[in-house]
Amino acid sequence: MSSPTGLAPVNVPGTGESRPTSPTAGSLWRGGRGALLAALLVVLVAVGGVLLSGGQDPGRPLDPESTALTGSRGMAQLLRANGVRVVRVTSVTEAVTAAEGAQSAGGSTLLIGDTSFLDEEEVERLAAAPADRLVVGDQPYLTLLAPGVNPGPAVRTRSREPGCSLPAAVKAGSAYLGGTTFTTPFGGVGCYPANGSPSLISYADEGRTVTVVGDGQFMSNLRLAEDGNAALATNLAGARPTLVWLVAPETPSESGAAPQSVYDLIPPAVGWAVVQLGVVVVLLALWQGRRLGPVVTERLPVVVRAAETVEGRARLYRARRARDRAVSALRTGFVDRVIPRLGLPATATPDAVVGAIVERTGQPAAYVGSALYGQAPADEAGLIAVAAYLDMLERQVRES
Amino acid sequence: MALTGRAALLALLGTLAVLFAPRPALAVAAVALLLAALVAIDLALAAGVRPLRLHRAGDRLVRLGETATVELIVENPGPRRARGLLRDAWPPSAGANPRRFVLDVPPGERRRLVTTLTPSRRGDREAVTVTVRTLGPLGIAGRQGSHSVPWSVRVLPPFLSRKHLPAKLSRLRELEGRHPSMIRGQGTEFDSLREYVVGDDVRSIDWRATARRHDVVVRTWRPERDRRVLIVLDTGRTSAGRVGTAPIPLAGELPRNRNVPGGAGIAPGWPRLDWSMDAALLLAALASRAGDRVDFMAHDRAVRAWVSGAGRTDLLATLVNTMAPIEAELIEADSAGMVSAVLSRAKRRCLVVVLTDLNPASLEEGLLPVLPQLSSRHLVLLAAVSDPQVAAMEAGRGTAELVYDAAAAERHSAERRRITARLRRQGVEVVDAAPEQIAPALADAYLALKAAGRL
Repeated sequence: MSSPTGLAPVNVPGTGESRPTSPTAGSLWRGGRGALLAALLVVLVAVGGVLLSGGQDPGRPLDPESTALTGSRGMAQLLRANGVRVVRVTSVTEAVTAAEGAQSAGGSTLLIGDTSFLDEEEVERLAAAPADRLVVGDQPYLTLLAPGVNPGPAVRTRSREPGCSLPAAVKAGSAYLGGTTFTTPFGGVGCYPANGSPSLISYADEGRTVTVVGDGQFMSNLRLAEDGNAALATNLAGARPTLVWLVAPETPSESGAAPQSVYDLIPPAVGWAVVQLGVVVVLLALWQGRRLGPVVTERLPVVVRAAETVEGRARLYRARRARDRAVSALRTGFVDRVIPRLGLPATATPDAVVGAIVERTGQPAAYVGSALYGQAPADEAGLIAVAAYLDMLERQVRES
Repeated sequence: MALTGRAALLALLGTLAVLFAPRPALAVAAVALLLAALVAIDLALAAGVRPLRLHRAGDRLVRLGETATVELIVENPGPRRARGLLRDAWPPSAGANPRRFVLDVPPGERRRLVTTLTPSRRGDREAVTVTVRTLGPLGIAGRQGSHSVPWSVRVLPPFLSRKHLPAKLSRLRELEGRHPSMIRGQGTEFDSLREYVVGDDVRSIDWRATARRHDVVVRTWRPERDRRVLIVLDTGRTSAGRVGTAPIPLAGELPRNRNVPGGAGIAPGWPRLDWSMDAALLLAALASRAGDRVDFMAHDRAVRAWVSGAGRTDLLATLVNTMAPIEAELIEADSAGMVSAVLSRAKRRCLVVVLTDLNPASLEEGLLPVLPQLSSRHLVLLAAVSDPQVAAMEAGRGTAELVYDAAAAERHSAERRRITARLRRQGVEVVDAAPEQIAPALADAYLALKAAGRL
């Protein structure tokens, strides 16, 4: 035997000389500059787009400084053009101060669009302020701001006719109203009725005019130009030389000392240490993530056991309880193995086979006949018994 | 570029500095700057990877189951010491060890790194790439790059059946007779003349030579020689099935806890192809010693390999080299193509040994219709590896499930017997043996044919 390691080298490739395969800085730049340019372009377009589109107003409803569709900057401008001083306030204290300041100069109107940030005591102070009140919508503490006015069922907001004798409403004509309907207190005027209940109430309370509207959308930038909305708004809000406009503050927690959060107790150095720990994690990831060379793949041959087809057939037999086929296969195998030992030709008749086996083994002919050529067993116990009997016969034939 | 754990450790120490610094934001920036500076210094002072020169030397051939060594010589022509890590990447089934080396090559020197390969399957294993990471003096960062250093190791079939060769050779010598035979019979040819000694058969006296030599001369006979044996290896889908237990575990084994009926936990063995190769090698060794010419062909839908006219001394070497990269293809073998390839290559009568599977379906469709063309001109011997798993299933008794398994196995065996009988009726010799027995059984069949003078 010649050893394979002693053979002449076969014609396999590879001279054993090395050639660097890693990219150089130059090739990296040449390969990556296109992608880099594309990325730069995307960033430029994104930045330019944001800069050109300008800051988008988040849109606070009924804010005289908001230019969003729900804001009311248009109405504030309109009022100022009509010579009304518009004072925007964000707290009750400011509102009361402004109202008291305007008392000597012809009085003021207090526009209250949102009282959800106020507590009861603040609302009481607001109600006590020396100014007319214009309350928008079904607000909390409505009974304090507009005593005697009770909210009724909600209705759809749409263009409605005045239907009353209130001069402000009559002059304005139809307006975009609805929202909440109210019950009219004694001595009050109810306008813009929806389903019979007014959505605008005006009445005198302790010498001050209190107006309640079911919905403030007619004052918004979106609706101001429609119908008589602008006229109604200026009539209601511009009745006095000064309009004190109360809006919710940007950050509601303004009253008293804000509760100190846990984070305020941590020294600032800890935050920066966490940043530094982030750097550590990044460095660890870079250290562990850098692979020493490429992942090597290999095409492996298929792994399939040759016996799987036979096992599959066995499972089919099991699944269908195919006793007839199983027993016929066992019998065929038995006869094929036994016939040469009995000295019979392959074409031997069943009778000849049974006779020869009976002669050799001394087993009853009826048993041998039914085991070899009988009916398929009725149950699995019968199948097992036939298999065992055939085994026994085969052993006896072999040993006799 | 690559970082090490030291960089992360330095950053961690920097966290302490940030915690206790009066201006933490500034400290974060300072630590980052310091780290960046150290990394830059280390990178600048690390030895270059690109200028390294690498060469290989070592084994080109290895038998499956044995170990080859491949050397990698790293030469550092640069001015700086190359310290760091080196990975010599090989395919997983090459069984390379160690997977990475610690590298330390002073300037102008060279180092030898030895990789041992213990392949787990046949074929050509190509070295993939050599990746080097050289660290700077601080050990914080390093440069990394790859070199392609081509090398290929051919993994040859193990030829495990060579243990049977001495026994078969002695059978052959018996047959041949170191003492020339006196009996002239089938399968013998004229060997030489020698002087008559008392006891020789008087019928073997060559009267014409006796007349010339003035002495009684007898003829001697010997078994026929210089016959042709053509071994045809079927590499179609039926040769991919795994049978037996692998003497050397092959790559791509299934996990052992498979829930297979009747064969739970049985690992797949070798493909039929590998057992057939083993048998073919034993037959080739035996036939070349017996003085016959051996040709080899591997075929599925096309001729995969063809060896012809190899001399006695280098026949086995050529065969193992040719067989090494052959894998079973998952396609149906084209028997008509195989027969026409054999007929076009073998002009004279020869023994055609077809190593395939006795799969009734594929034989009936493929080989049987075209077999008469082959068997009319050549003697055909069909050798097939049977599956011991089927034999084990046949013996199953006791529960209904096992009996169903046994019935399925019996049916499979009956089909094999039927196809074997059909083949024998057509004058084809059939050898059907278990994986471990196929090589000696095929050798025995060859010897029997030779003794009977049927070659």
